[in-house]
Amino acid sequence: MSVSSTATEALQEDAPVAALRRTPWWANQRIGLLILVVLLSALFGVLRPAFFNQQLVVFPLLRDIAMFTVVGLAQLSVLSIGHMNLAVGRMAAFSMMITGISYDLWHFTLYSGLLVGLIAGTAIGALAGWVIARTGVNSFVVTLALDFLLLGLIPLVYTALTDNAAFVTKPPGMRELRNYSLADICVGNVCGSPAVPQLAIFAVVAMAVVGWIFTRTRLGRELLMTGSSVRAAELSGIPTARRVIVAHAMSGCLAALAGFMLAISTGSIKATIGAEFMLPSFLGPILGGTLLAGGFVSIWGTLLGTALTTVIRKGLDLLGVGLESLNIYLGLILLVALSTDRIRTVLSERQGVRRR
Amino acid sequence: MTLFQAEKVEKVFPGVRALDRVDLALEAGSVHALLGENGAGKSTLIKVITGLYRPDGGRLLLDGREVSFGSPHESASAGIGVVHQERNLIPGFTVGENILLQKLPTSRGLVDRAAIRSEASRWLAELELDIDPDQPVTELSVAQAQLVEIAKALSIESRVLLLDEPTASITPNESALLFRVVDKLKNDGRAVLFVSHKLEEVFQICDTVTVLRDGASVLSGGALSDLTRDQVVDLMVGRTHEALSLPPRAVDRDVAPILELAGVSTATGHVDVDLAVRPGEIVGLYGLVGAGRSELAKALLGLDRITAGEVRVRGSAVRIRNVRDALRNYKIGYVTENRKEEGVFLEQSVSRNIAVTIWDRLRKALGYVPAKEETSTVATYVEQLGIRIASPAQHAGTLSGGNQQKVSLAKWLAAQTEILIIDEPTVGIDVRTKDAFHTLIWDLAANGLAILLITSDLPEMITLADRVVVMRDHAVQGELPNDHDYDRMSQQVIRLIHAEGTTAA
Repeated sequence: MSVSSTATEALQEDAPVAALRRTPWWANQRIGLLILVVLLSALFGVLRPAFFNQQLVVFPLLRDIAMFTVVGLAQLSVLSIGHMNLAVGRMAAFSMMITGISYDLWHFTLYSGLLVGLIAGTAIGALAGWVIARTGVNSFVVTLALDFLLLGLIPLVYTALTDNAAFVTKPPGMRELRNYSLADICVGNVCGSPAVPQLAIFAVVAMAVVGWIFTRTRLGRELLMTGSSVRAAELSGIPTARRVIVAHAMSGCLAALAGFMLAISTGSIKATIGAEFMLPSFLGPILGGTLLAGGFVSIWGTLLGTALTTVIRKGLDLLGVGLESLNIYLGLILLVALSTDRIRTVLSERQGVRRR
Repeated sequence: MTLFQAEKVEKVFPGVRALDRVDLALEAGSVHALLGENGAGKSTLIKVITGLYRPDGGRLLLDGREVSFGSPHESASAGIGVVHQERNLIPGFTVGENILLQKLPTSRGLVDRAAIRSEASRWLAELELDIDPDQPVTELSVAQAQLVEIAKALSIESRVLLLDEPTASITPNESALLFRVVDKLKNDGRAVLFVSHKLEEVFQICDTVTVLRDGASVLSGGALSDLTRDQVVDLMVGRTHEALSLPPRAVDRDVAPILELAGVSTATGHVDVDLAVRPGEIVGLYGLVGAGRSELAKALLGLDRITAGEVRVRGSAVRIRNVRDALRNYKIGYVTENRKEEGVFLEQSVSRNIAVTIWDRLRKALGYVPAKEETSTVATYVEQLGIRIASPAQHAGTLSGGNQQKVSLAKWLAAQTEILIIDEPTVGIDVRTKDAFHTLIWDLAANGLAILLITSDLPEMITLADRVVVMRDHAVQGELPNDHDYDRMSQQVIRLIHAEGTTAA
C-alpha cells in the first residue's frame, strides 16, 4: 500500500549513526576554569607580588580553598539528586556544637571529637532527607525550615554551656593542625611544600571518597539516576526514598567536616560557624559544571570553581578593595565566568551541529 | 457553507508520516466526526489546525482564504476554539476568570471583577449553563469543567470549535448535557469537530464524518446517515501494511500460570479483574486509551493500591510493594509506555541506562561495581537487541525513539526477568523498527518469558498475542483466543470494545 511505502521512505532508522561529537577542549568547563584561575592568579601576582607570599597568602588561601571545596561537596551531594541543602552552614554549626561539647564536657581527643561531629552531621542530614522523602515537601523548604530551627537552637545551647558563646577547651593537636604544612610531614629527607596546609589533606580525602562513590559505586550511580529522573529511577527499581535520605546524610557529614576545618583554621568552636557557607556551597559546584537539576556532578569542577571564587576574593582583598565593593566585583566576575561558559557551550554545540 | 477546510495536509516526524494528505471540511451549522484508531493522526491533525504544529504540506482555509497559524494564540484570534483532551482549567481561579483567561477585562491595569462576572455570565448563558462565574473551578464536576472549557473556547468569539474526546472521562448522564450544548452550537451556525472513540455518540450527534487511518483520510466528509456502524469500524481498522508473519509458537496450556490475577480490584477503579499469563505466552491486553490497562500494570507493581482480590506469582499469593520488590523477589519487569519520562534517563549514558537494574546484583564490598562486568553485560544486550549507538557513553536522549525503546527493554533483559509487562512498546515508532520489535518480543516469549503486552495497536496485538484480553472502563470485557486472522480478529475485538449496554453507568 502507498501509505506504508511512503512511511518506509521516511525511515531514518537505518541511516548511519552520527559519530559521537567530541567536545572541543576549549569548550571543556573544567579546563576553562583552570585557565581562568591561573590567569587571575598571575594577574594578581603581577599587580601585588605579595600574592605569592607562601606564608601570608598562599597558605591561608589554600586552607580556604580546601574548606570551601568540602562545603561545595556537601552541596554537591544533594545537587546530585536535584535537591538543595540550604542548611549546609547550620548543619556545620550544629555538628561543631556537638564536637565542642565532646571536648569541653567529655574531654575527647581531637579526632574522636571530629568523629562525633561527623556522626552528628550525618544524623541531622539524614533527618532532613527523611522528612523530605517522607512528606514529599521540596528540599528547599525543608532545609530552609531546618536552617531556621538550628539558627534558634544553637545559640541557646551555647548560652547554656559556655561563657562567651564559644567552647574554650582546645584538645591537643588543634593548634598544630592549624599551622602545620606539608613541610612538617617528611618521608626521609623529602618534605612537602610549606605553602600547603595539612588541612588540605582533609579536602583531598573528601574529594577522593566522594569521587569514588559517584563514579565507582552503585550508591553514587543510583543517586545520579534519581537526579536525572525520579520517575524513571523508581520504575527501574531504585529505592529513591532511601537515596534521598543518603544524599542528605552525605551532605550533613561533609558539612560537619567543613565546619571542623573552619573551627581549626579560626582556632575556636563558636555558634557562628558556617554562617557564610551557603553561597559558596552553590558557587563551587555550579561553576564547576554540576547540574542544579541533578544527574551530573563534577568533583574536580567543584575544586576549580571554589578555587576561582576564593582566588578572586583574596586577590581583590590584597588590592585593597573594601568589603562592599569586593562583593560587587565578585558578582561581576562570576557573572562573566558563567556567561563565557554558556557562550562556550553554545559555540561548541553549533560547531557540532554543523559538522554533522 | 464551508467555514474551515484542510486540504492535503501533511505532517512528517522523524521516521513517521503522521499525516498523509489529509482532507477535512467543516460546514457551518453541522457537527463533523473525526474517527480513527489510536495513533491514526487525530490529535496531530488538531494540533496542526490550531497552530501547535506547522504542516509540512497542504493548506488550511478559513472562510475560503488560506491561513497559516504560528501558534495556538493566532488560531484562537482567527476564531478557532479548541477543547483539548487534557483539562486546561487553572485550579486556583474562578469559573469566570478561567473562561476569560485569554483576555481578562481590566480597568486601569487592574482586573475588573464586575466585568468578568457579567462577561462570563453571558457565555455561560449562551450555553444555558447553570454555573456561578464566581465559583472556584475546583468545585466543578468533571462534566461541568468540560462545559466551562467549551465556554472558554467560545469566549474568543469562535465560529469553529474543535472538541477532542470531550466525553472520554465523563459519565453517560453527564454526556447528555454536553450533547445538548453541542446541538445548540450547531443550531447557532457554528462548525463543530467532534473527536470520539464512542461510536454510539458519534451516530447520535454528528452529521458527517472523516475517518483517519495511519495518517491518511480514508473517508473524508461522508454523511453518517449513509453509513452503518460496521462500515465505520471497517474503515477505521482497515489493513495497515502487510502484517509481519511470525511462525506459530506452541504455548503449553498445561503449564501453570506464572502470573495470575484473581478478582483484583484497585484504588484506581478496576473491578474484579481476572488474568493469567503462562511462561512462554504473550497475553495481549487491548483497550482504548483510558480503559485502565497501564493503571492495572501499575497496581500490579505496587504503585497503586489493590483493594480486593489476589495476585499470584508462581502459584503463591504475593503482595508486591514496588518495582524494586517486583524485580528482586519475583523477577517481574515493566517496560513503561511513557518512554521519555519513565523509561529512559535521557541525560545519562546508554550504558548506565541498561545497567541500572544490575548494579544491585554486581556490587561487591562497599557497593563497588566492577566496570568490566558492567561493560560486558551492556555490550551483550546492545548487540542482542541491535541497539544502534556510536558508543555506550552516548546519552540516551540522542537516540531515535526506537533505539530508546530498545534501551528501555534491555535493562529488564539484563536483569534476567521472567515476567515482562510491556506497555505500548511501539508508540511513535516507524513501521520497520516496529517489525523488528515484534520479532524481538516474539523471540523472548519463545525463550520462555511470560509477557503481558499492553497495546492499543490492533495489528500489533494480532501479530503477537496468543490470547487477547479486552478491557473497557477498568474491567475485563472479554477474552479471545488469537487465530492470527487479521480481519476476523479485528472485527471481533472492535465489536467487543464498542459493544453497547455494558458501559458502567
